[in-house]
Amino acid sequence: MIDLIGLTIAVPLVASGVNLLIGKRLGRRSGWIATAAMAVSFIVALGALLQMFSLPAEERTQVVTVAEWIRAGAAAVSLDLRVDPLSITMALVVTGVGSLIHLYAIGYMDHDERPGRFFGYMNLFCAFMLALVLANDFLLLYLGWEGVGLCSYLLIGFWSDRPDAARAAKKAFITTRIGDVLLMLGLFVMWVHFGSFDFDVVLGHEGSLPEIAAGTATAISLLLLGGAVGKSAQLPLHVWLPDAMAGPTPVSALIHAATMVTAGVYLVVRAHALFEISDVALAVVAVVGLAGALYGGFSSLGQYDMKRALAYSTMSQLGFMFLAAGLGFYPTAIALLVAHAFYKALLFLTSGNVMHGLHDEVDVRRLGGLRHDMPWTAALFGAGALALSGLPPFSGFFTKDVILDLASRDGATWAFVLGSLGAMVSAWYIARLYFTAFIGERRYEGSAHEASALMRTPLVVLAVGALFAGIGLELTPEGTLPMFLEPVLGHVVEGDAGPSTQVLMVLAVVVTLIGIGIAWRLYRPANQERWVSFPEREPGMAGVLAHGFYIDGLYAWIVANVGLRGAAALAWFDRTVVDGAVNGVGTLATRASGLAPIWQSGKVRRYALSFMAGGVALLLYAAVKI
Amino acid sequence: MIDAPRVELWAILPVLMLFGGGLIALLASGFARRAAQAPFALFTLAALAAAAASALWLWNRETTTALEGMVSIDRLAVVATLALCGIGAFGAYLGFHYFERDDFRRNEFYALLLFALGGMALLVAAADLIVVFLAVEVLSLALYVMTALTFRRGPTEAAMKYFLLGAFASAFLLYGVAMSYGASATTSVQGLARALTGVGGSQPLALVGALLLVVGLGFKVSLVPFHMWTPDVYQGAPSPVTAFMSAATKVAVFVAMVRVLDVAFGSLAWDLAPAIAVLSAGSMILGSVLAIAQRDVKRMLAYSSVAQAGFILSSFVSPEREGIAAALFYLISYSAAVVGAFGVVMLISGGIREQTGFERFRGLGRRQPVLAALLSVFLLSLAGIPPTAGFVAKVLVFGAATSAGYWPLVLIGALASVAGAFFYLRVIALMAMQEPRGVDIADPSPLPRLVLAVPAVTVVVLGIVPGVIVPLLQEAGVLTW
Amino acid sequence: MPLDNVVFWVFAPLSVATAIGMIVVRNAVHAALFLVVNFFTIAVMYLLLDAPFLFAVQIVVYAGAIMVLFLFVIMLLGVDRGDAPGERLLGQRTTAVILAVAIVAELATAIRAGIGFTTRAPGGFDAVNPGGNPSALADVLFRDYFFPFEVTSILLIVAAVAAMVLALRRSKSLSQREIETHAGDDLEAYGLAAPGAPGTVGEPSR
Repeated sequence: MIDLIGLTIAVPLVASGVNLLIGKRLGRRSGWIATAAMAVSFIVALGALLQMFSLPAEERTQVVTVAEWIRAGAAAVSLDLRVDPLSITMALVVTGVGSLIHLYAIGYMDHDERPGRFFGYMNLFCAFMLALVLANDFLLLYLGWEGVGLCSYLLIGFWSDRPDAARAAKKAFITTRIGDVLLMLGLFVMWVHFGSFDFDVVLGHEGSLPEIAAGTATAISLLLLGGAVGKSAQLPLHVWLPDAMAGPTPVSALIHAATMVTAGVYLVVRAHALFEISDVALAVVAVVGLAGALYGGFSSLGQYDMKRALAYSTMSQLGFMFLAAGLGFYPTAIALLVAHAFYKALLFLTSGNVMHGLHDEVDVRRLGGLRHDMPWTAALFGAGALALSGLPPFSGFFTKDVILDLASRDGATWAFVLGSLGAMVSAWYIARLYFTAFIGERRYEGSAHEASALMRTPLVVLAVGALFAGIGLELTPEGTLPMFLEPVLGHVVEGDAGPSTQVLMVLAVVVTLIGIGIAWRLYRPANQERWVSFPEREPGMAGVLAHGFYIDGLYAWIVANVGLRGAAALAWFDRTVVDGAVNGVGTLATRASGLAPIWQSGKVRRYALSFMAGGVALLLYAAVKI
Repeated sequence: MIDAPRVELWAILPVLMLFGGGLIALLASGFARRAAQAPFALFTLAALAAAAASALWLWNRETTTALEGMVSIDRLAVVATLALCGIGAFGAYLGFHYFERDDFRRNEFYALLLFALGGMALLVAAADLIVVFLAVEVLSLALYVMTALTFRRGPTEAAMKYFLLGAFASAFLLYGVAMSYGASATTSVQGLARALTGVGGSQPLALVGALLLVVGLGFKVSLVPFHMWTPDVYQGAPSPVTAFMSAATKVAVFVAMVRVLDVAFGSLAWDLAPAIAVLSAGSMILGSVLAIAQRDVKRMLAYSSVAQAGFILSSFVSPEREGIAAALFYLISYSAAVVGAFGVVMLISGGIREQTGFERFRGLGRRQPVLAALLSVFLLSLAGIPPTAGFVAKVLVFGAATSAGYWPLVLIGALASVAGAFFYLRVIALMAMQEPRGVDIADPSPLPRLVLAVPAVTVVVLGIVPGVIVPLLQEAGVLTW
Repeated sequence: MPLDNVVFWVFAPLSVATAIGMIVVRNAVHAALFLVVNFFTIAVMYLLLDAPFLFAVQIVVYAGAIMVLFLFVIMLLGVDRGDAPGERLLGQRTTAVILAVAIVAELATAIRAGIGFTTRAPGGFDAVNPGGNPSALADVLFRDYFFPFEVTSILLIVAAVAAMVLALRRSKSLSQREIETHAGDDLEAYGLAAPGAPGTVGEPSR
C-alpha cells in the first residue's frame, strides 16, 4: 500500500472535482461521495501503516515517486511523496478525523443549499493537507501550505452572505499570508544555501546533520517559524483564528482545530534538524509556545461564544505543542497533536450540535441546562472536556502533563511552572464551558432538539479516541506512538533534574483539579447571576479577556492608520510616476492654476522624456564601465 | 560582376506562408471590403496552419544560417514560430468574434495580423541585426494600425502614442545596430560573436551598441522605464488586438533578445548582466506596484505585463541553456494566460465600446460562472500560483537567475510576485465574493468560451506536467554557432 | 588633405546649425527648408567620405523627392498650423536638453574609447571598394543584404496599407452605421485625455 500512497491525495482531489463541477446535480449525495473518498483515503493510509509495521524500523522511510514533473537536464524534478512514521501518523489523523467530520457534516449541512460546493472545498482541503504532510520536499509542502490556506479562506467565507464571515475569511487570508511570506523567504534562503528543497538534503540524511552554519540555520528556522506561527495562530499572528469560527462548524473542527492549524507544529517538528543546529530558534519556539498557551487559555476564559472559547483553547493547546517541540520533545508534541485532534474535533462538533439544535445559538449566557434536552451531546462534550483537562487516565494527561513533566525533569523549571499555570487555566476554561452550557437551569427559549443518529455516530468514535487514545496509543515517551516515531524524531530522554516523575504526576492532577474547582466555584448553577453579569460588574477585566488583551484592536488601529498612510503614499506615487517622472513641483503649480487638463494633454512627450532618461541612464552605465 | 546570392527560400517557409497569406488577404479585402468576415478568418487560420506545419518541417534540419547569413535555421526559431502561430490563431478568432459581434467589418484586420505575424516569425529567426530591425518595423507598423482599427477616439489616440514612441524606440534600435557595426564591422549575429571574442572587435562600442539594442527591444516588451505606452495602448486597443500583441510581441522580441544578447553579445554577458538585472528588477517592482493602483482590468493587465516582462528578463542574467529554456517556458505560459485573460475581458466588456472597469467584474461569478472561472485560471497563472503554468515558469526563471548568482534579483522577484498575487486575487475576489451591480452586458455566445478553454487547459496542464514541453524547450535552447 | 578639412569645417557646423534650426523654428515651411539644407550638408559629408553613390542618392531621394512630399503635405494642411499655444510642459524642455547633452556626451565617450577620434581619412578604403564605390555598394546590397532588401518591400507594403487604412477613417466608404458607432466616443472614458484639451496627441484634424 505504500506505493499507492498517492491515492490518499488523488481520491479526495477527484471527489472534490466531481463535487465542485456537478455538485448541484448531486444534491445531498455529494456529502456521501466526499465521505467515501475520505474513507478510501483513510484505508489506503492504514494499509500503508500496516505494511510499514512489517518492515524493520530503519526501512520505514520510503520515498514514492508519483510522477516526474520536469526533467531539467541531469536533475529531474519529480512529484515525490515521503512515507515515514511521522508523515503516516499525520496522514492518518487527517484522513481518520477527516472522515468522521465529513460524516458528521452530512447531517450538519443538511439544510444548506450548496452541499456540493461545501464538500468540494472540504475534500480539496484534505487533498492539500495530505500533500503538505506527505511531501518529500519543501516545495510540495509549500504548495500544500498555500492550498490549505486557500481552502480555509473559501470555507470560512462559505456563508458569504454573512458579512462577518466574509470579513473573517479576508482577515484569516491576509494574516496567514504574512506568515506565508516569511515561510517563502525561509524557503528562499534554504534554496540559496542548499540549492535544493529536498528533505534529505536540507534536513540531512538519517543520522547525519545538514551542512549549514548556525547563523544560516537560525535565519531559516526563524523564517519557517514565522510561517508556522501564522498557520498555527500563535502570537503575534493569532488574531484570525477566533474570527474564523464564522465558518460552518465542521470546518472549525477539521481545519481550525484538528488539522490545518497543526501544520505549523508539523513544520517545526519535521524541520527539527535545522532548528537544533541553531540554539536560538528552538528557544524561540518554546517561548512562543508557552506565551500562546497562557494567552489562549486566559483569553478563552473571557469568551461567551462557545466556538470562540474553543478557538482560544485551540491556540492554547497548539502553544503546548510548540512548547514541547521547542524543548526538543518532538514525539510528545506529535502525541499531543494526535490527542488534540480527537478531543478538539469532538468539542467543536458537539458545540455544532448545540448550534444545530438551537438555531445557531452559541452564547453560553443564553444556554444552560442543555443536558436535559441534549443528553448525548452533553455526555460527548463532557468526554472531550475530560480529555482536554488532563485528568488521568484520559489522553490529555498522557500528553500535556507529560510535556510539563519532561520539562521539569529536563531542568526547565520556568516552563514547568508557567506551563502548569496554563494547564490549570485549561481545566478551568473547559470546565467553565461545560458548567455554563450544559448544567444549571435553561436560559434559552423553546426546546433544543438532540442531534440525529447520523451526527452522533462519528462523535462517539471521536469520544472513544479522545478518552482512550492516551492508553491505547500509549502516548507517554516510552509508549507505542513515540517509539513508532523514533526513526524520524529520535528518542526523548527523560532528564533527572527536579522532583521525581511520581511527584510531578500528582502535582499535575492537583493543578487540574484546582482548575476544575475554581470553575465550579465560579460557574456553578447557584452562581448564575454573578457570572452572567460579570461583564457589567467588571467591564475592564471582562473586556481585556473577551478581546484577547486587545491585540486585535491594536492591529486594527495600526492597519487603519499606517495602512491608510501607506495607501495615500501609494496613490501619490502613482500620480507622480504615471503622470510623468519629472513633474516635480509642476503638478502642484499647474493644478493650483487650474490648468490640469492642459497638463494631461501632452503626456506622450513625457513618456518620451522618461524613455530618454532610461536610455541615458543605461548608457551612463556603459560610459562608466568603459 | 556580382556573384549571385544563395537563395534558400525553404529556410523561411513559415515567414513566406505568413507574408503570402497576408498579401492574399490584403488583395481579397480590397475587392471585398464589405464581404462577410468568416472566409477571411478561415483563410487566416489556414495560413497559420501552413506556417506552423512548415515550421515543424524545419525542426530536424541541421542548425545553420541561410540567405547569406541573414536568417538562422534552428529549433529556437521553430518553437517560437509555433508559439506565434498559436497566439495568432487565437488573435484571429477573437478578432473575428469581436468585429462580427458588432457587425463592424474590418477585413484588413486579417491581412495586418498575418503581416505582424510574418514580421514576428522573421524576427525570431533573424540572424542579422538589419533583419532584426526590419522585422521589428514590420510587426510594429502592423500593430499600430491594428490598435486603431475601430477608429474610435480612444484606440486612435493609443495608436498614435504607440507610433510616436515606437518611432523613438526605432531610433535607439537603429543606433544600436550602427554602434554594433562600428564595433565589429559586421551586422551579423555570428559575425559579432566572432569579432567580440577575437581581437577585431571594440568592446566599448559593442557594449553601447548592445545597450541601445536593449533599449529599442525593451520598448517593445514594455520594460521599465520604456513601458509608459503600455497601459494606454493596451487599454485603448481593441481587446483581441491587445490579447494578440501582448503575447506575440513578447514572444518574438524576447526570442530576438536571446539571439542578440546571448549569442551576438555573449562575450559581454558579464558586463550586460547588471544592466539587465536592474531593468528586470525595475520592471518587476514598478509593474507590480502600479498594477495595484488600477481600477480598470485592461489597464491592470497592462501593468502586470510590465512586471511579467521583468520576470522573463530576469532569466537573461543566465546565458546558459537553462535560462533560455526558462524564458521560453515563461513566454509560452504567459502567452496562454494573457491571451485568455484579454479574451475573457473582451467577452465581458460588452461591445466595441469596451467597458472594462472593475465594476463590470463585480459579482461576475454569479452571472457568468464560466467566464469568471476561466479568468480566474488565467489570473492565477499570471500570479504564479500552483498548479498553473505560471508557477512553474517562475520557478524555472528564478532557478536560472539563482544559478547565475543573481539571487537578490530573485528575492525582488519573489516579493513582486507577492504584491502581484494581491491584485490578481483581488479581481478574483471581486468576481466571487461581491454582489453584481447594473446590467449584465457580457457576451452570451458559447463558442468563444469553448475556444478560451483551450488556453485555460494549456495553463493547467503545463502547470501539472510541465515535463511534456520542457525537454523540447531545452533542445531549443541549445544555440550552436 | 587640407581641402577636405576646410570643406568639413564649413559644412559640419552648418549641418548641426540647420538641424537645430529645423527643431527650433515654429513655421513648418521654414523647418522644411532647414531640413533641405541639412540634407545637402549631409550629402557633402558622404562625398568627403568617398561615398559618391550615397551622395547622389541623398540629394536625389531625400533632398529631392522626400522633401517635395513633405512640403506638399505641409501646404495641404495649411502653413499656419503652428504649435498649439499653452501646452508647455513644466521642465520638459530643460530636461530634454540636459538628456540630449548627456546622451551625446555618453556616445562620444564610447566612441572615443572604442575607436578613438581621428582626423585621418579612413585607411584601406580602396581595398573594400574594388571597382569603385557604387559597384562595391551594389555588391553588398544585392548579394550580402539581398534578403533585408526584399524585406524592405514588405515593410513598404505594410506602411502603405497602414496609411490607407487610417485614411479610410474620414473617407465616405464607411457606412452610416459604422459612423453612428463612433458617435459619442469620449476619450475621458479611457482616462487618456481630458475633454477638449487642445493639441491632444493623435486627435484627428477636423
